[in-house]
Amino acid sequence: MFKKILIANRGEIAVRVIRACREMGIQSAVVFSEADRRALHVRMADEAIPIGPSPSGQSYLSVERILQAARDCQAQAIHPGYGFLAENAGFARAVAAAGLVFIGPPPAAIEAMGDKGRARALMQASGVPVLPGYQGLDDDDILQQKAGEIGYPLLVKPAAGGGGKGMQVVERPADLSEALATARREAGHAFGDQRLILESYIPQARHIEFQVLADAHGKTLHLFERECSVQRRHQKIIEETPSPFLDPELRERMGAAAVAAARAAGYRNAGTIEFIVDAQTREFYFLEMNTRLQVEHPVTELVTGLDLVQWQLRIANGQALPFHQESLNQRGHAIECRLYAEDPANNFLPATGPLLRFIEPGGPGLRVDSGFTSGDEITIHYDPLVAKIIAWAEDRPGAIRKMSTALKETVLLGVIHNGQFLQDALSSAEFQAGAVYTTWVEDHFGDWQPPECSLPPEVLAAAALTQFQSATASTSSTAPTGADGRDPYSPWRVSNGFRLGE
Amino acid sequence: MRYRFESNGRVYEITIERRGDSYIASVDGQPLEFELLDIQTGQLSLRFSPRLEDGQPGRPVTIFWAAEGSQKWVSLDGCTYRLDKPSARTARPTGETAGVENVRAPMPAQVRAIQVAEGERVEKGATLLLLEAMKMEIRIKSPSNGSITRLLVTSGQAVEKDQVLVEIGE
Repeated sequence: MFKKILIANRGEIAVRVIRACREMGIQSAVVFSEADRRALHVRMADEAIPIGPSPSGQSYLSVERILQAARDCQAQAIHPGYGFLAENAGFARAVAAAGLVFIGPPPAAIEAMGDKGRARALMQASGVPVLPGYQGLDDDDILQQKAGEIGYPLLVKPAAGGGGKGMQVVERPADLSEALATARREAGHAFGDQRLILESYIPQARHIEFQVLADAHGKTLHLFERECSVQRRHQKIIEETPSPFLDPELRERMGAAAVAAARAAGYRNAGTIEFIVDAQTREFYFLEMNTRLQVEHPVTELVTGLDLVQWQLRIANGQALPFHQESLNQRGHAIECRLYAEDPANNFLPATGPLLRFIEPGGPGLRVDSGFTSGDEITIHYDPLVAKIIAWAEDRPGAIRKMSTALKETVLLGVIHNGQFLQDALSSAEFQAGAVYTTWVEDHFGDWQPPECSLPPEVLAAAALTQFQSATASTSSTAPTGADGRDPYSPWRVSNGFRLGE
Repeated sequence: MRYRFESNGRVYEITIERRGDSYIASVDGQPLEFELLDIQTGQLSLRFSPRLEDGQPGRPVTIFWAAEGSQKWVSLDGCTYRLDKPSARTARPTGETAGVENVRAPMPAQVRAIQVAEGERVEKGATLLLLEAMKMEIRIKSPSNGSITRLLVTSGQAVEKDQVLVEIGE
């Protein structure tokens, strides 16, 4: 096994990989930007190497700096996490060229699946169903004509894209030009590649993906599905497994298609085949393959009992998978909620700010993957994911109840977040019935408002008490002080003078 | 003593006094009696007495809070509330004059494209400019019908949260 690896990422996923390394007796080195000087992943790692300024383009996305860091700390392998350079074939190649192991798939598999047009063609050739669409010579006139043939509504997607970035739903021919322009612009900024593809759009679609694991000895297995239909802006916020939509027959067919897709790509390591399932016809279609570990991998770990990050490391080290498809099964039910610094009442716009106080929930069957602690800050530079809360129970209703309890226990002060929204989504009749689809959040929560309209009197009494206490105790000589002489959390702290007269 | 907080545009008035081991509070005229069970950094455990008038049973609660400038963040049962000093948020930002609406950046971002020019008439909902933050495109739309009286940013410029981007007049 490796003696030391470099983790080319930050936040919760870097912490997740550090923990796996520790359990396996592997030394973990991390990289960090200026903004992350005191970040949790830096505090936890065995070694931490600065790689530049806060903007990710000059730090976490710099192939040269990351390779230099790996050489400096004499790491034998690099784990890319997700995002940043995880699906960059050039990076995977550069890692190999530097004599290091890339903990992920072969560069050719990243390339084959990274280009949405090529991936569609490869899947068609391998018998994996794809949506009616167009990938090919990219020219606005041709796209206009092809769009007419495919029919509306349709989806405009960046060919180099993924994760829903830059995707546009077009309802009518009149809107196509603007959608193409917007998609091209976003594709250019996000991926440095303006090419687009078209796909037929299924309005009431479910997003169901399959986890695959492939070793270097020809064995490719699937670890069942994850249902990720609760999304906003094409990005997932609640994921679960098993899917309430699948039956054993459909699960088996989709699992087989996922394995066929991974084999067609020459895949190795952990990956995910995403499918769109038409809720009316129960037909499924290949959406894309994510050639990396997914954010939502914990739900699979909880129901299969396998540690995906540890298997990523073992596979990269050449170990063979010792189990078979038939020996894998799904036990119980797991749900993940993504706690984001964002404003659900304002189009889910990302929010920034200090985590003045962050208290994670706990209890049996609960897991929290988080990259931050109280005192850290959510900045403009990176993804606003604060933590993933994952609940496991014997069945789906039990997992929902456990998650609701966990969200009520979570305390996050200092930055606007989606905790209350997640609770409302979980307790809705549609979610409880498992009847959700990818535009469900938009359709049902478009005018969602936070609960501040019903401010409990207990909260106001407590807020007043904090000031009452500081006023009556301000002469106390026992007042604790922080490093700056003012403990911001201290109940004794003299307030800002918004007390009225006596 | 009397305290006032503002939340979501509403002002609440609270009085508190100590009576032996208990506290008597009045929240917008509604009486509440409670005992302080525990006090820690940013954390209060209180036990509220049963409310006779509406049959609400007494209950112990733990409230977490933190102060940031004039703002107080308070959390109870998984709900987060922001309380502010009255009028701090309702006051007009300096320099804003009647009849002119300032369109501000919702978050720190970079200006990607500007789709209007000074003097141009715009309708409510029209896209004025595109910002990018956290790899996401944010469309800034016109809050009203009017004309662009001032365009205060250029393409590529980095803007701070609440920075005025465009001024719209009648």
